[in-house]
Amino acid sequence: MNALPRPSTIFLAVITTLVAVLLYSPLFVPIVSSFFTISHGDVDWSSPTLSTYRALAENHDILAALRTTLIVGLCTVVLSVVSGTLLALYYHGRRSGRSILQFIIFLPFLMPPIISGLALLIFFREIGLERSLLTVVIGHTVFVLAIVYRTVLMRLQSMSRTLVEASYDLGATGWQTFWRIILPNLSSAMVGGAILAFALSFDETMITILVTGTQSTLPVRLWAMMRLGFSPDINALVALILMFTVLLCVLAARFLIPRQMATERS
Amino acid sequence: MSQNTDLLTLRSVSKSYGTVPVLHDIDLSVRDGEFLTVLGPSGSGKTTVLRLIGGLEPLTAGEIRLDGQDISRMPINKRPFNTVFQDYALFPHMTVSGNVGYGLSVRHVQRKEIARRVAEALELVQLGRFADRFPAQLSGGQRQRVALARALICQPRLILLDEPLAALDLELRRQMQEFLKSIQREIKTTFLFVTHDQEEAIGMADRICVMQAGHIRQLGTPHELYYKPNCEFVARFFGENNLVAGKLGPVQGEQRPIETALGRLICSISGQPHLKAAPDGASAFAAFRPEALHLADSTDGDNRFSGTIADLAFAGSSTVATITAGADTAAQRLRLRTPSRIDGSALRSGETVSLSFAPHEGHLVLA
Repeated sequence: MNALPRPSTIFLAVITTLVAVLLYSPLFVPIVSSFFTISHGDVDWSSPTLSTYRALAENHDILAALRTTLIVGLCTVVLSVVSGTLLALYYHGRRSGRSILQFIIFLPFLMPPIISGLALLIFFREIGLERSLLTVVIGHTVFVLAIVYRTVLMRLQSMSRTLVEASYDLGATGWQTFWRIILPNLSSAMVGGAILAFALSFDETMITILVTGTQSTLPVRLWAMMRLGFSPDINALVALILMFTVLLCVLAARFLIPRQMATERS
Repeated sequence: MSQNTDLLTLRSVSKSYGTVPVLHDIDLSVRDGEFLTVLGPSGSGKTTVLRLIGGLEPLTAGEIRLDGQDISRMPINKRPFNTVFQDYALFPHMTVSGNVGYGLSVRHVQRKEIARRVAEALELVQLGRFADRFPAQLSGGQRQRVALARALICQPRLILLDEPLAALDLELRRQMQEFLKSIQREIKTTFLFVTHDQEEAIGMADRICVMQAGHIRQLGTPHELYYKPNCEFVARFFGENNLVAGKLGPVQGEQRPIETALGRLICSISGQPHLKAAPDGASAFAAFRPEALHLADSTDGDNRFSGTIADLAFAGSSTVATITAGADTAAQRLRLRTPSRIDGSALRSGETVSLSFAPHEGHLVLA
C-alpha cells in the first residue's frame, strides 16, 4: 500500500467504500426496519419496537416451518456428511473413476437449482415416491453433497501419508488407524462441512418448492407470505435468517480455515 | 547380546515400481545391537531398503529373515520394528504422551503401565516436561526426540530411521547425532539409519552400507570404507579423494605398482585379495587421500611427481591446495590437505612443488 501515491490511495478508499455501501446496504435495510413499526406500507422511524418479532413468535405457521427446516437440515447434514466422507475416503488416492464421480457430485451444485429440482421431481414421480419431507431431504443431500465431499477430500489430501504408515508401524490395525488417526484428523473438516451443508439446506428454496409435499420449510413459507402481501413480520424473519446464516458461516470458517495444529508439518 | 549374530538378513531382495527397478538383488545382514548406516545419494534405493524391512512396501523378489524366520510376508503392524520417519509423522491431534504411548495403547496395554513407560521413554529423550504439549508446540529437535521415544517404547528388535536429521540445522544435527548414538548404546537396540550425508554416517555408524543405483557397493566399518574402498564409486563418494587412472603392474608382495600419467605409483593391496588376483595391465585407479599427499624434496623415485599449486583455500584447521600435476596432455587435478599454521602456509599459489605419498597410504580400485 505504501508504494501508491497518496491521492490514489484516497481515491481507492472512496471507491471501495461506495461499492461496499451500494452492494451491501440493502442487506441491512430489513434488519434495521424490523425494529420499527410499519404503517400504510411505510416504515415509521419514530417508534422503535419489537412487535414484529412478537408477531413472528405468535405465527404458528412460521414456527411449524422453522421446525420442518430444522428437521430437514439435520437429516441432510447427517446423510451428506456420512456419504460425503465415505466417498472422499474411497476416492482418496484412487485415480480411476474419480474425475467422473466428482463431475457427477458437483453437477447438482453447479446447475441452476430449477433444473436439479425438476430432474428430482421427475425422478420421484417415475419411481412412485410420494412427495414429502423425505424427498426434500434427498433433494437437499444431492445438492450439498459436493461441499462436504470437497472439504473432507481436501483435508485428506493435506494429511501426510506417513501418519497412516506410522500408525500401522506402531502396531495398530486398520480399524484402529481409522478411528484413532484418520477420523480425528478429519473431524474439523467434517464439522465445517456439516455447518456449511446446514446453512445451504436452511435457505434452499427452489428445489424445496418443487419436491416438497404439504409441509413447507422456512424460505418456502417466506416466499408464500410475500405472495400474499408484505407484512411486517417478514422483516423480522429475514433478519433472523440472515443473522443465523452469518453465524453459521463464521462457525464453518473457524473449523475449515486451517489452524496451526492441524496443518503444520509435524 | 553379541554383535556377531545376525538379527536380520536380506537375501536377493529386488524391488520394482511397475517396470522401473529400484533395487537389484540386495544381500544384507544386520547384526544384533549394531548401528548400521545405509548411505547413498538420492535415488540410490536406500529409503526403499528401509521401507521393505519395515513392511511399508511389498518385496518384488527375494526374502527377509528375522532370526532365520522368513518375515517377507508379515504385515507391517506385526513386525517387531519401529520407524522414525523423515517428517517425524507425529500425530497432530495427540499430545506428546499420547503420541509416545500410541504403540502400547493399540496393543491394549493397561493404562497405568502405559503411563509408567511413557514417562520412562520421555525421561530417556529428556522431554519429561513436555508430556502435555502438542507436536505443533515443539521445536524441530524436540519433535525428533518425540518420534524416537515413540519408536523405542515398544522395545522393537530394530529401529529404522529414515534421514531423521535432514530437516535440522547443522548445530542441532551434530547434537542429535551424539544423542542418537548415546541412546543406542543405552538401550542396546539395533539401529538402521538411512542418510545421504557421509559425515553423519562416519560420525555414528558401527558399519556403513554404501548404495548406488539400487546396488550395495560396499559394506564395512567407516575406517574400511575410508581406507579400503572397493570400487571407484565408494572411493569418490566417501570422503575427499584423489584418483589417478592407470594400468596395473605385477604384484610385489603386499603392494602393487600402477603405471599412470604421474609415473609409477606403488600402492598397498594388503587384505584385498581381489586386487592381488587382477591381471597385469588391468585398468585401475591409484587412490590417495588429500591428507596423505605431502611435499617431497625431489621428484626422483616411486610415488613422486611434480605439480603446480593452482589454488589455496584456507579451511580453518586445515588448508587445501588444488594442484595440477603431470604433463599438459594428461594433467591431473589433485588435492592436498595440510594443517593450517598461524604464520601462513608453506605453500604459495603458482609455485611448482615436488609431491609424494607413502605406498601404505595409497590404495587401488579397479576401474
